[in-house]
Amino acid sequence: MSEQELDEVYTRLCYALTEVGEAQTPAVLARLTLLLMKQVDDAGAIHGAIDSALEAASA
Amino acid sequence: MEITFDEYFAYQHHAARLPADLAQGRDAVRHPVVIAGGGPTGLALALGLANYGIPVVVLEADDTVCSGSRAGAFTRRTLEILERLGVIDEVMRTGHGWTTGWTYRGDKEVFRFEMPDDANQKYPPAISHLQNYIEHCMVDAAAGRQGLIDIRWQTRVTHLQQGEGGARLDVETPLGGYAIDADWVVACDGGRSTVRDLLGLRMEGRRHEGRYVIIDIRIDTEGMPLGRRCWFDPPSKPGGTLLMYKKPGNMLRFDYQLRDDDDETEETRPERVFAQVDRHLRMLGVERPWKPVWMSLYRASALTLDSYLHGRVLFAGDAAHLVPIFGVRGMNSAIDDTHNLAWKLAFVQKGLAGRSLLESYSSERVHAARENHRFASKGAEFMAPPSAPFRLMRDAVLSLCERHPWITSLMNPRQHAAIPLYDSPLNAGSDDTAAFDAGPRPGDILRECPLQREGRPAFLTDLLGPCFTAFFFSDDGRVPAPLAAACEAIAHRVPFALQVIARRATAHEAAAVDATGRLFSLYGARPGSLYLVRPDGHVMGRWLTADADALSRAIDQVVAIPEEACHV
Repeated sequence: MSEQELDEVYTRLCYALTEVGEAQTPAVLARLTLLLMKQVDDAGAIHGAIDSALEAASA
Repeated sequence: MEITFDEYFAYQHHAARLPADLAQGRDAVRHPVVIAGGGPTGLALALGLANYGIPVVVLEADDTVCSGSRAGAFTRRTLEILERLGVIDEVMRTGHGWTTGWTYRGDKEVFRFEMPDDANQKYPPAISHLQNYIEHCMVDAAAGRQGLIDIRWQTRVTHLQQGEGGARLDVETPLGGYAIDADWVVACDGGRSTVRDLLGLRMEGRRHEGRYVIIDIRIDTEGMPLGRRCWFDPPSKPGGTLLMYKKPGNMLRFDYQLRDDDDETEETRPERVFAQVDRHLRMLGVERPWKPVWMSLYRASALTLDSYLHGRVLFAGDAAHLVPIFGVRGMNSAIDDTHNLAWKLAFVQKGLAGRSLLESYSSERVHAARENHRFASKGAEFMAPPSAPFRLMRDAVLSLCERHPWITSLMNPRQHAAIPLYDSPLNAGSDDTAAFDAGPRPGDILRECPLQREGRPAFLTDLLGPCFTAFFFSDDGRVPAPLAAACEAIAHRVPFALQVIARRATAHEAAAVDATGRLFSLYGARPGSLYLVRPDGHVMGRWLTADADALSRAIDQVVAIPEEACHV
C-alpha cells in the first residue's frame, strides 16, 4: 500500500463514519476491527496492535 | 425464589423411617459411606459405589425428587456415565436427543450450529430431559441394588463431628433424631450445602455473574424443532437474550437474563414472567394454550472450594462448586464428579489404595471446576455481555455472522464436555505416549468407536466395567505370554480386565473385532499397542508396543498404599 493509498482509505473511512453518524461509529469500527483481524491472520501482530492502541489511549 | 405450579410427572412420596438397629439414639450400624443429599449427585454416587459392592446410606431432606426440573440438557459424557449407573434405557426412552442449535438476531436466524457428532457414536451429543425424572430413574435403580443403597427420606443433617477414621452425623426426621457413624461422608447436598456450612468452609470465585429467570411450561410442542434456540435482541425482549428448549412431555423451557437495573421482585412476579412467555410465543406465531409448571430465579456464580477432601468428608456437585448457567455444566459436571469419585472411594474403602487416591479426586475435579468456570464464563460473556464494550463487540460479531461464517466460532456456546486430566498424578509417564500419531492421550476420555463383539455390533465403551481396563490391539487376538501373565497378576490385586481387540475377523473368539480398522486408526494403534483406561473411562497410559512391566508399574502407582493409610 502506497502513502497515497493509505491516505485514500483513511479519508474514505472518515467520510463514511461521518456519514453513518457518531452514534453508529463504534459499531462500524468494531466490525471493521473484526474483519481486519481475520485479514491480518496473525495473533502476535494483532496483540501488538492492541497494545499500541492501548498505549496511545493512556498517553 | 422458586414457584412450583404443577408436578412434572406423578412424584412418589416416601415416608420417613428410623434405622432398624437404633440403640441409645444412635444407628448401631457403622456405615462405610454416608452421602448427605439425595439429588442427582448423591444418587449417582450411590449407584456408582454400588457397582463396586460398597453399601451406602443416602440422607435426603425431602420426601421425593426435586420439585423443580432445574438441569435440562445432558451431554454425551453424562449419557455414557448414566449407562454405567444402569439408568440409561429409561432416560433415552423418555428424553429428546438433539444435535442442532439456532441463533437469531431480532427474529431472524443468523447462525446454525451442529453439535460434534459422527457415525462412530453410541449416543447423541446431547439430550433434553428433566433433572427430576433422571433422579426418579436413579431412585428406581437404587431399589434394585441388592440392598446396597439405603435412601433415608425426610432426614436432615444437623451436626457433623469428625474423629479418628470417621465422622458422626446428627440427623433429624419427623419421627425423631439420631446419630449415625460413617467411615466417609460425602457432601452432595447442593449449592446451599449444610455440610459445607457445618465445616465452616467457603467457596471462592465470582459470586454473581447475572440473574436469570427460568420457566418451564406445558404446551403442545408438536412440530417445534428439537435443540437449543437462542435469540439476541428479539422483538419479544428488546435488548435482551432469551433461550428456548423443547423438553420431553410437551414442555418448553425458557430462560432469560435480567438487566442489572431490573427490579428482582417486580421481574419475578408470575404475571410478569407469563407475559414474557406470551410475547415470545406470539412472536413465533404459536397460538396454543399453555400452563406454567415451575419457575425460578437463578443466580449464576463461578465458585469452588479449593479442596474437595476435608478429613473424612468429601464434596461433589453443587456442594463443591457452582457454575454459570451457559454451557450446561451444572449437573453434567456433578455426574462427572461422582464418576471420578466412586471408584476411588471404593478402592480406598476396600483397602486397595490409600488416601492419596482421594486427593487425586480433589485435585482433578477442582481443576475441572476451574476449567468449567473458564469455558462457562466465555459463554456467559457472549450471551450476557458484562460491559458496554463487550456488548459492542458481541453485536459486531452477530451483525457479521451471516456473510462471514468464519466468525461464528466466536459464537460457539461451548457446551460441556469431559475435562481432560492431562496433569493427573495418576497418568503413567510413558515416554512412548508421544509416539502415537492419533488417539486419546493420558487424561482424555475414550473416543467412541463401533466394533464387533461375539459376532454382534457393539461399541468400544461397552467393554468398560467397574475396573481398570487394558485394551490390547492385536492382529489375531493372541496375547503375548508375558503380558497375559502380568494382567493375571494385576487382576489378582485390583479390579482389572484385559480386553483384546483384533483386526482379523477370524480372530480368537474372546476378542472384539475391528474388521474395518476404524478403531486402530482412531487410536493410532498397531498390533502390539496397549491402552490402559481408568475405571472412570479416562485414559491413564498408552504404549505403542505393550510393555508388561510398565503396565504393572502404572497400576502400582495408583494403588500404592502408604504405610499410614493402610488402615481405613
